Amino acid sequence: MGVGKSCLLLQFTDKRFQPVHDLTIGVEFGARMITIDGKQIKLQIWDTAGQESFRSITRSYYRGAAGALLVYDITRRDTFNHLTTWLEDARQHSSSNMVIMLIGNKSDLEARREVKKEEGEAFAREHGLIFMETSAKTAANVEEAFINTAKEIYEKIQEGVFDINNEANGIKIGPQHSPASGGAGGSRPRQQADSGGCC
Amino acid sequence: MALIQWRRFNFFNKQIVDPGLSGRTWQHVKDRQFLCSACGRGQLVFGDSQGCIHSVNHNFQVSSFKAFEIVVTHLFQLKQHNILAAVGVDEMGINPVIKVWNLDKKDKLGNPFCCRVQNTIPSNNVPSEVTDFAVHENLTLMAVSFVQGSVVLYKGDIAKDRITNKNVHLTTDVSDPITGLSFYGVGKNIHLFATTERMLFTFNLQEKSPKKNVLDRRGCPPRCSMSSDSILDNQFILTATDAVYLYHPDSVGSCFVFEGEKIMAKWGSGYLVLVYKDKAKGSIPTTSTMRLLDKNVVTIYDMKQKLIAYSAPLPGVQEVLYEWGSIYILGADNSLVCLQEIDIHQKLEMLFKKNLYSLAVNLAKSQNLGEEGLVEIFTQYGDHLYSKGDFDNAITQYIRTIGHLEPSYIIRKFLDAQRIHNLASYLQALHEKGMANEDHTTLLLNCFTKLKDVENLNKFIMTPETELHFDVETAIKVCRQAGYHQHALQLAEKHHKHKWYLKIQLEDTHQYEKALAYIKKLPFKEAESTVKQYGKVLMCNVPEETTHLLKNLCTDYRPIGSQPSDDADGRPISKSNGEEFIHIFVNTPEMLVKFLEHLIQADNKPSEAVFNTLLELYLHKMNQTDNAKKKVDIEETTLKLLKDFSSKSLTDQALVLCQMHNFRPGILYLYEAQGLYQQILRYHMDHEAHGLIVETCRRHGDRDVTLWQHALTYFAQQRDSDCRQHIAQVLTHIEKHNLLPPLLVIQLLSRNPSTTLSVVKDYILRRIRQESDEIKKYERSIEEHRETTEKMKKNIEALKTSATIFQETKCSLCTHDLELPAVHFLCQHAYHQHCFESYAENDDECPVCAGPNRKIMESLKEQEQTLSSSLALNEQFLSQLKRSSDGFSVIADFFSKGVFNKLTLVGDEEKIPNGGGARATSSGSMTSHRIDPSLQKELLMMQQANRM
Repeated sequence: MGVGKSCLLLQFTDKRFQPVHDLTIGVEFGARMITIDGKQIKLQIWDTAGQESFRSITRSYYRGAAGALLVYDITRRDTFNHLTTWLEDARQHSSSNMVIMLIGNKSDLEARREVKKEEGEAFAREHGLIFMETSAKTAANVEEAFINTAKEIYEKIQEGVFDINNEANGIKIGPQHSPASGGAGGSRPRQQADSGGCC
Repeated sequence: MALIQWRRFNFFNKQIVDPGLSGRTWQHVKDRQFLCSACGRGQLVFGDSQGCIHSVNHNFQVSSFKAFEIVVTHLFQLKQHNILAAVGVDEMGINPVIKVWNLDKKDKLGNPFCCRVQNTIPSNNVPSEVTDFAVHENLTLMAVSFVQGSVVLYKGDIAKDRITNKNVHLTTDVSDPITGLSFYGVGKNIHLFATTERMLFTFNLQEKSPKKNVLDRRGCPPRCSMSSDSILDNQFILTATDAVYLYHPDSVGSCFVFEGEKIMAKWGSGYLVLVYKDKAKGSIPTTSTMRLLDKNVVTIYDMKQKLIAYSAPLPGVQEVLYEWGSIYILGADNSLVCLQEIDIHQKLEMLFKKNLYSLAVNLAKSQNLGEEGLVEIFTQYGDHLYSKGDFDNAITQYIRTIGHLEPSYIIRKFLDAQRIHNLASYLQALHEKGMANEDHTTLLLNCFTKLKDVENLNKFIMTPETELHFDVETAIKVCRQAGYHQHALQLAEKHHKHKWYLKIQLEDTHQYEKALAYIKKLPFKEAESTVKQYGKVLMCNVPEETTHLLKNLCTDYRPIGSQPSDDADGRPISKSNGEEFIHIFVNTPEMLVKFLEHLIQADNKPSEAVFNTLLELYLHKMNQTDNAKKKVDIEETTLKLLKDFSSKSLTDQALVLCQMHNFRPGILYLYEAQGLYQQILRYHMDHEAHGLIVETCRRHGDRDVTLWQHALTYFAQQRDSDCRQHIAQVLTHIEKHNLLPPLLVIQLLSRNPSTTLSVVKDYILRRIRQESDEIKKYERSIEEHRETTEKMKKNIEALKTSATIFQETKCSLCTHDLELPAVHFLCQHAYHQHCFESYAENDDECPVCAGPNRKIMESLKEQEQTLSSSLALNEQFLSQLKRSSDGFSVIADFFSKGVFNKLTLVGDEEKIPNGGGARATSSGSMTSHRIDPSLQKELLMMQQANRM
C-alpha cells in the first residue's frame, strides 16, 4: 500500500475513506472549491502515482503547479527516508516558488508509528517546508493540510511572489471578480503525493 | 506495458455477428472497402470507398445509398437528432464536401434527404484532405480539419444552406495534420479541442475570433482522441502511446498509464476501447486506405470502476462501434464481431471468486443492481472477511445487509465473547435502522454491559425519543439486571416509565428521597397508584417526606413543576381517599397520626375509617404512655377529636374502641352523645362509682326517669359497700318526683340484706305521712262531693214533686225590678218579657242557663257518638295496626284522637242539673275497656321498645 495520497484526496474532495484502494495508475485529478479570505478559490489537485515506473509521466505534472503536498507514511520509515529524493525532484521540475507542504499521513495508526513527529518537523524546518500530520482515515488535519497550502499560495500571490498572469505558475484568475484556479501538482511516488492547488 | 495495470476481467463475450436471414444482409456489403463508420440512434453506419453509405439495423439488415460520387471519408451520427453528416469527395481534385442528411425524410429515390452540401475550404485555399470532422449536438456547429493544419468552423444551422451561415478559419499555427477534433460543452460555453500528433490545443468558441490555447505538448495519432460523456465529466480523451490523458478545456486532468501504441480509441458509455498494435509486428500505416490484416489487441477499460473489462487479440481491426450496449468491431475480411457484455450476475460471480467484493459492490451500484443484489454481495463479503478472521470489517459489511438478511444469521456468528464489540456495533446499526426487536435490544444492552462500554450505553440510552428504535421496557429491564441502575433510571425517567423508575430506585438503588421527589412530579393518578404500591417501603425509609406527600395527595395534590394554570380552568382538584393509604403506615403510627390529623383537619367529612383509625391510634398511644402529663394531653386530644367528630355521625366502632382501650371519658362522652343514659349508668355501676351514679341520675334523670329506679335497684344490690348515703339521695329524688311507689322501694331495698331500715326509715315515714295526708284530703273531698250530690238530688226531687215559688224581683238581664209581664224559669231566673224576647234565642230556654247547658249537652252528644262508633273504631284500629309497618305511629294517632282516654266526664256531669234531663251512664269508662287485652299488650311492648 502507498502512503495514502489517493486517500487524502478522496477525503478532501469526497469526504470519505476507502480502506481498499487500488494503486494509482498514472495521475488522478480532483477539484474542490474553498474560501480563503472571503474569496472563492477552486483547488485543482493532481494525485500522482507513487510508483517509480510512472515517474516520467508524473513528473510532467509539476510544471504549472503552485503547490505540492509531499506525503510520507509515519508507520514506514523508508517512505520518510525517500523524502529527499522526492523533494529534489519536485524542486527541479517545478517553479521555484512552489509551496511545499510536508505531510506525515496515517496518524491514526499511532501504535505502529515509526517516524516521530519531531523528525517530520525537523525535516520540514531544514528544508523550509510546512509540516502537518494527518489521517485520511479519520480525516484529521486533512482539510487543514490542503487549505493551509492554499493559504500559503494565496499569501504569496498577495506578496507578489507569483505572477498571476503567467499560467505556468498554476494560477489563473477566474472569470468573475474572484481568482480562480490553476493548478499544479507535483507528486512523488511512493511516499508522497502531492498535489497542488491553487487559487 | 507497465507492470502495474488495472485488474483484468473478462466481462465481454466475443461472437461473430450472425448475418440476418432475410432481406439485405451484411453479406451483401461484405466485399466493400469501408473507410469510416459512425453509430447511434439504433444503427451502425459505414462509409465505403465507392461513396456509398450503409446503415445496419439491429437485425443486421443493411440499407445503402450513394452519398458521394467517389468516396466517403468521415461520418458523424448525431445522437440527439436523426441527422447524419459526412465528409466525402464528389470529384477528384476538388475540395472534399460535407453533406448532411435528415434521416427522417426521404428524397424521390427513397434515400435519406440530403439537406445540406457544403464545400470545405482550408485556410490556404488549396484543396487538401480532411483529417477529422466534428459536429456539435446543438446543430449549429461543425468543424473540419485538414492535413496541413487548418481548422474550419461552420456556424449556423447545419441542416440548412443559409447565407447567414459563417465559416470561421481558426488559426492553429501548426503545419502538422490535425489528428483529432472534438467539441466540448453546451450552451454558450463551448470549446473545441484540436490535436495534432504533438500538441493539444483548444479554442474557446465564445470569443469572436477564437484563439488557440495550448493545453499540452502532447498529441496523438488519428482516431485516437474523442470526447467522453458525463461519466468522465465530458473530458477530452487523448490516447498517447505512453498513457491516456484526460483534459478539461482549461486544464490537464487525470492520466492513466496504458502503455502501448494504439491505432484506435473509442468511448462508449463508461468504457474506453483501445486498439493496440500487436507489438510483435512492425508498425502499420495508419492511413485508412491501406489496412492490412494485422493482429491487434482490443482492450476495454471500465473507466469508472478502474478495471480492464476485456482484452483479447483480434485480427485487423478497422472500426470500433458502440451500440445497443455492445461493442461491434469491424475486423479483417469485413467480419463484424460483437463483444457482448455479460450480465451483472455473471460479473459478480467472477468477482466473488476472486473475493473482490468492494469492487463488486461498486459495480453493482453503477449498474443499478437492486437492493437485494447488493445485500447478497455484502453478505458474501461479510462471510469472506469473517472466514479470514477480519471481524471488524466483516461486521461493517453485515451492517449493510440490515433490513434484508435475517439478523440472527449474523448474531450467531458473533456470539463469541471475543467478538462482542462487533456484535454490539451490528446491533447498534440494527437499532438505528429501526429493525431491532426486543431480543436485539436485550442483546445489545448485554453487550454494552459486558464490554463495560458505558459511553455507548449512554449514547444509546440518550437516543432522542423521536429516533427511538428500541423497546424501552426491555432496555430498562436489561440495564437493571446488569446492574446499570443509573442507566435504567435515566431511561425510565426519560420515557416516563414511572413504574420502572420507582421499582429500580426503591428496590435496587434505595434512593428513597429521589424516588419520592420523582413521585411528586407525577400527575395525580400515577402518583396515587405508585404510592399505593411503594408506600410502605417509602414509609419505612423516609417517613417524614412520604407522609408529607400522602398529605398532599389527600388534599390538594399538584405535581411539582406543573403549570399553575392547570387548576385555573376549574378542574376539580383530585383527592385520594385517605383510607386507602392507612395501611402504608403500618409500622409508623407516629406518622399515621400526623397524616390522619391532617386529613381530618383538611377534610370536612372525613370517613369513619379515618376517624376510627386515628381514634384507635390515640387510644393506643394513651395506653402506652407512662408519663401522666402526656397522657392527659392525649386524653384531651382524643376527647376533642371525639367531640369534633361526634357532632356528625358517630359510630359504634368508636365506642367499641373506647371500650377496648378503656377510655372512660370517651365512653361516657359517646354514651351521652347518643343519649344512652342507661349505659352511662351501667358503666358507672360496673365501676362501682357510686357518686357518679347519683351524679348521672341527677344530670339525666329529667330525660329518663328510670335512671333513678335503676340506681336504686343497683344500690339495693350492693351488699358489700356502704351506700346508704347514696340510697338516701336516690330516695330523695324518687320521692320528690314520685317515681316509685314506696312499696316497690321497700321491696327493692329489702333484697339487700345489708340495707337497714334506718336507711329508709325517714323515707317511709315521710311517705306514710304524706299518704295519710292525702287520704285525709281525699276523704274530705269525697265527703264534700257526697254532700253536694245529696243536695242536688234533693233539688231535683223538689223540682219534680213540689211547687216552685217564683219570687224573683229583678230581671236577670237588665237587673231592674221586674214588672209585668215577666217570664220565670225553674232555675229561678226571671225576666221582663221584653228583655226575654229581645234576648232569648227561643222561648223554652233560660237565656242565662242556655250557654252552660248547651256545652254540657254537646259533650254528652259527643260521648254518645263516640260510643256508638266505638265498635267500628276498634276494628279499624286493629286492622291498621296489623297492616302498618310502624305500629307505634298508628297507636299514637289513635291516642291523639282520644280513643284511649278514660271518660269519666259523664259520671261527673250527671249530677249537673239541666233542663234537658241527664242520661246517667257508666258506659263511658267502658270505652277503654273495649280494647281487647292482646292489643294492650302489644301497645305496651312497643312503648318499651321505644324506650330502649
